[in-house]
Formats: sequence, C-alpha cells, structure tokens
Amino acid sequence: MHSQHRNLTERIMRGLFLASACVCVLAVLTICAFLFVSSAPFFAQYNAWDFITGQVWAPLQGIFGILPMIVGSFYVTFIAVLLGAPIGVLTAILMARFASKPVVRFMKPCVSLLAGIPSVVYGFFGVMLLVPLVRVNLGGTGKSVLVAGVLLAIMILPTIIQTAEAAINAVPQSYYEGSLALGATHESSVFRAVVPAARPGIISGIVLGLGRAIGETMAIIMVAGNNPRMPGGLLKGVRTLTVNVLMEMGYAADLHRESLIATGVVLFVIVMAVNYLFSFINRRRVAQ
Amino acid sequence: MKIRKILALFLALSLSAFGFAALAEYDFSKTIAVVSREEGSGTRSAFTELTGVMTKVDGKEVDNTYLEADFVSGTSLVMTTVESNEYAIGYASLSSVLLNDAVTAFKIDGVEATPENILNNTYPIARPFNVVINGEITDEIAKDFMAYIMSREGQAVVAADGLVPVSNDETPSYTAPAAGLSGTLVVGGSTSVAPVMELLAEAYIALNPGVTIDVQATGSSAGVTGALDGTYTLGMASRGLKSSEKENGAVAVVIGIDGIAVIKNPVNPIENLTMDQVRMIFTGEITTWADVNK
Repeated sequence: MHSQHRNLTERIMRGLFLASACVCVLAVLTICAFLFVSSAPFFAQYNAWDFITGQVWAPLQGIFGILPMIVGSFYVTFIAVLLGAPIGVLTAILMARFASKPVVRFMKPCVSLLAGIPSVVYGFFGVMLLVPLVRVNLGGTGKSVLVAGVLLAIMILPTIIQTAEAAINAVPQSYYEGSLALGATHESSVFRAVVPAARPGIISGIVLGLGRAIGETMAIIMVAGNNPRMPGGLLKGVRTLTVNVLMEMGYAADLHRESLIATGVVLFVIVMAVNYLFSFINRRRVAQ
Repeated sequence: MKIRKILALFLALSLSAFGFAALAEYDFSKTIAVVSREEGSGTRSAFTELTGVMTKVDGKEVDNTYLEADFVSGTSLVMTTVESNEYAIGYASLSSVLLNDAVTAFKIDGVEATPENILNNTYPIARPFNVVINGEITDEIAKDFMAYIMSREGQAVVAADGLVPVSNDETPSYTAPAAGLSGTLVVGGSTSVAPVMELLAEAYIALNPGVTIDVQATGSSAGVTGALDGTYTLGMASRGLKSSEKENGAVAVVIGIDGIAVIKNPVNPIENLTMDQVRMIFTGEITTWADVNK
C-alpha cells in the first residue's frame, strides 16, 4: 500500500518534470516553425540570394536587400565585444582572485544591477547622454556605430563578468596551489594556471554576451540612426537586423511585412551559426 | 523640500545658461541633422510626395530621402529627436506639433503652419482627404454616413486622428435615424484615407448597429474609378480630382485635411524655408544650415 502510493507520486513527479522540459522544447520548435512558415511566401516571391546580398532597402519599391543590416549587426556587435570582452574578463579575474572581500561584496550587486536594467533604460541613457556627448565632441549627429557599440559593450558586461567569474571560481584550488608550490607568484599562478583552465567558461561568457549584443533591439533603435545603407565610419549611423524588424513592423503590409519576418529568419540563422561555431571550437579545445 | 527647491533652481539656471549659450552661438556651418520617418509610415509618404522628395521614374515612385538622415519610428520620437538637437530638422503631422512647445514649425514659402492656413489653401504641405461620389448620393446609408462624417461628431473623429477638420461652430450634430438603417456600405480607395475612414465607420456603426461598412484600401485612383463604376458606393482619394475624372461625373467632398509641419529646434534662428529648400534638405542636396541661410 505504502509503496504503491510512493510509486504514484514518483510517476506524477516524473510526468511533471517531463512536461516542464517539453514546454521549453515546444517553445523553440513553435518559434522555428512560425518563422520558417511565415517567411516562406516571401522567399517564394523574392530571390533569397538577392535578399541577403542586396545593398538597397526600399520596401515600398519592392527592393529588399538586407546586406547593409547584416554588416551593421556584425559591425556593432564587433565593437561591443572588442570593448566589452577585455573589460568583462579582467573584471571577473579581479573579482575572483585579486579583490578584497568588501570590494567583492560591493561589486557583486553592482554587476547584478547592471544586468537588471531594462534595455529601454540603456537606450534612454544612450540617447540623452552618449549621443549629445559624441555630437558635441566628435561631430556628426551623435547617432552612430560608436554609441551603439559602447552601449552594447556596457549591456553585455554583466553576462561576461558573471559567467567568467563562475568559470574561474570553478577551477580546482589545487591548480592554484600547485602553481604556488612550484614557486610561481600569485599573479602568474592566476594568469598561467587558473585562467587558462577556465578558458572554456570564459569563452562561453563572451559568446553569451555576443548573442545578447546581436539580438539587442530597443536600446539600439534609439541611438543608432537606423540608416538603411551600407555602414560607414564609426561616427555614421547604422541599422541592424533587429532594428529593421522593429522599426517597420508598425506600418508594413503584404510583402514588406513578410520581408521583415524573413529578416528575423536571417537573424535567427546567424545567431544559431555563431553559437554552433563557438561550441564547436570549445569542444575541440576540450578534446585537445 | 529645501533640497528640492535648490535642485530646481540649479536645474533652471543650468538650463537657461545652456539655452543662452546656444542662442549666442548658433553655428550655421553645422551639418543639418535630418530626421525622417521609417519606410511605410503614412506621414513619410505624404511628406515626400508633397515636397517632391519622392519622384516618379518610369511610373514607379522612388523615395529619395537622404540616407544619412536619422530614421525614427513614430511622431513623438521625431519630436524628441528635434528637441534634443539644435541642428535638427524633422516633420510631423501638424496637429501633434501644435500640442508640443518644445519644437517649432518652419514657415513654408512665408506661410505659417496653422489650421487656418491649411483650410484656406495657402500652406503648401497639406493634402485633402476626399470622399468621392458619382454625381449625387442616392444610397440611403451612404447619405446618412456622409451626414455623420460632416457632423460635429464625425469631425471630432477626424480631428482625433490628427487631421485638420473642415467643421466650424455652425456644424450640426448628428442624430441616427429613428427608423434604424440596415445594410452594407462599401467604401474603397486611398490607403491614406482608409485608417480614418475605419475609425469613422466604427463610430458610425456604434450608432447604427444594423449597418456594416466595408472599408477597402486600394489607392486613390482605384477609389475614384470604383466610385464612378459603382464598385464602391463611396470612394476615397488623398488628392484632388483630375479634370478627366471630373468630366466623368466624379465629385469630391473634403472630409478633413492632412497637414504636415516641418519642425526645428526653437533655438534655430531660421524661420522660413522655401519648398525647394525643404526638398533639398530632405534629399541631402543641402547639408549645412549656412546653405539655407544664404
């Protein structure tokens, strides 16, 4: 009797866990299916190659070229990672191995807070502070690749810091102690023994940050100028794939609307490819 | 309380100092920061059409908006962008600009952007929203719907959608027929007029539950042809009628006027622009305020 009761609970719980897992998988599959099904009519009418390599975006004239946005997305993301990754990783190393306890106790909530700020607030910060700052000191309208990149760098910091710090802390203490025992200093033990051991974790932190940067929309639309042409210098405006979708969804109709969903598909494929590439690199490193 | 006062004083002082500094040294050599709406926006297509930024090449409409412009989605974003940059220029529907003190409208060809000047046809960046009929309306529902559109209530809907209404103090109120109408009315034409027509239809149906109104957005020319050949009981057009259309019996009734103001930061001392200058600024042929101020 008793064991039967336990069996039932066991089965119910098993089902519950399975259902929870299914929600996640189902969501991914539904989104995939939705994207590909609703972009199919567009690709039936418009050559996919022309879509990806076209340099002119004039949807009302029936010209849909998103190469400027693809380049723009990579451009802005590149700047963000270039600035954000070193700052983030160095901060993580400091917090994990160098800073005193009170400093860490102060920094941790700061980093979490940075992660909790909604992107529209970042956008406001950018448009009210960074854009005029660039406009007055460097020229142009201020809405630029530079501001978008800097803003994104700040936004991806918490992701990089938290992941990298966890990875560094997860390195067995024996690595560090062994290095010390061989006569290395604290600094070289950290940089030569601990950090290399944590490299896969640090890289996945950077990739997570990269994923966030390439997918960010709300903050970027406010500071990037959103020009639908091939990106130029750092002080010129830029339009990313995400912005292209959000910006024109409101009024788009028919083929124009479908082209925006197709833009989403391209973004989706890019993010998948980036994630896969990095996990591939990571796996090979670990295997070696 | 005290701290708040000090803060407010400090803020006011720094703001006014900033304002004066900007006034004293308005730098005409600066690049004009052009602010444009996104592709697909009705305001953008109206603006580019009326100012000649949009041209027709081989019968296809080509929008020549300057690609270095700052592209923003939404009227309020245009206004905040112009508000925050002394060298910016943008455009937005007149009704929303009149409610906002932080931006100023340019005079165009010496004419101030006001509802009066739009109604008396002197302000150039405006276009009529017309209902097109074939001679005379015979359909009972169409007649009553037109009466509603031209009534105080209907014009309030028109005004709420950002258009300049054609009503005045003597415009009568609408009362739904006591007998109650029933049937279907087909209204078709201009894609620009369709949104306000749908609002009007919705409000009208609330008063006359027996009626259904089918609003079809097909384009101004299709609206006129449809009204003439009977496809639509009422046509919609966001332009005046061509003489050939009038000869065929089409009559246009203006239900509201779409006015677009070209806006600047209040600090900008330039007050007037010609239509040519507006076109050249928004196509990127003129890029500094000095070129305008010559």
